[in-house]
Amino acid sequence: MAFKHKERMIEAVIPTASMADIAFLLIIFFMVTTQFQLDRTAVSVPKSEIRAEVPKGSAYVVIYKLEDLNQYAYKFTDGEIQSRPVPDVSTMEIEINTVASIDQTRPFVIKAPGEAPYRLIDEIIEMLRRAGVEEIILLTDQRTVDDVS
Amino acid sequence: MKLEKENTKAEITSASMADIAFLLIIFFMVTAVFSATKGLDFKLPQEEEDRPVEQEEAIYFKVLEDGSFLMDCNYATREEIVDYIIPKLERWPDKPIIIYSRPEAPYGAMVGIYDELLKPAKSEEQGGLGLLPKTPNISIPTQSEVLEYERLFGQNPFESNC
Repeated sequence: MAFKHKERMIEAVIPTASMADIAFLLIIFFMVTTQFQLDRTAVSVPKSEIRAEVPKGSAYVVIYKLEDLNQYAYKFTDGEIQSRPVPDVSTMEIEINTVASIDQTRPFVIKAPGEAPYRLIDEIIEMLRRAGVEEIILLTDQRTVDDVS
Repeated sequence: MKLEKENTKAEITSASMADIAFLLIIFFMVTAVFSATKGLDFKLPQEEEDRPVEQEEAIYFKVLEDGSFLMDCNYATREEIVDYIIPKLERWPDKPIIIYSRPEAPYGAMVGIYDELLKPAKSEEQGGLGLLPKTPNISIPTQSEVLEYERLFGQNPFESNC
């Protein structure tokens, strides 16, 4: 008896139904964890081994060097909008006081190059103290074994 | 005449959804900042708890213009700080530590000392050594405080000390 062998055709398909689920899961993860950099000024901050996370919404006081003029300049952000240049220290004090008068518990981050003279940082600390700020964070990079040697 | 009824299935096209989703993922991956925003935490003294620190009872650091520093009047390196302070803080955990930086001293040198002083009390997960139960009592006098001391004592005690 001759059997007729019926060939079954199975279409080769990669199931992609769950791809959108995975993609949206990743989107939610990034949306929750993303912290937009409010200041992108290139500053070679000092290095430290102890490093605490900067809380979201912290205000930034940025001191950076104008290489062509060989002098230091300032930027400020209240932690909500992108940092913008501040013409002088007296304007910086006004900015600090404005933010601190709304919320004294808001942490202030000082982002300054390691080679900057201490008097510039001292001036800022003094202003923050006068404004009644409770917590400051000195922004640092990770110190590695190479830095020790 | 009998009209033929067209049977069209109602459907929302979701073919491009994955494209949009991946586009968003790439956007968030590019803009995300994870480890760049970390630093050394420093609590500023509030008015009511502000009290002068007796210099004789304190461990005293003086940062000089070239980035070197004196530890209780002796030149020292960053690596020597921990071994020097631990026995003192074990005996007296509240012993004040003063970091005085000259106005033209590099800010990074002060941060380096502050980092070393925090190390013994911080846990290993935080990058520390976990040797002391309590964060040391560190004070960093500002220029106006130095002027106030000068007014009280007739000279800058941080400079005349050693």
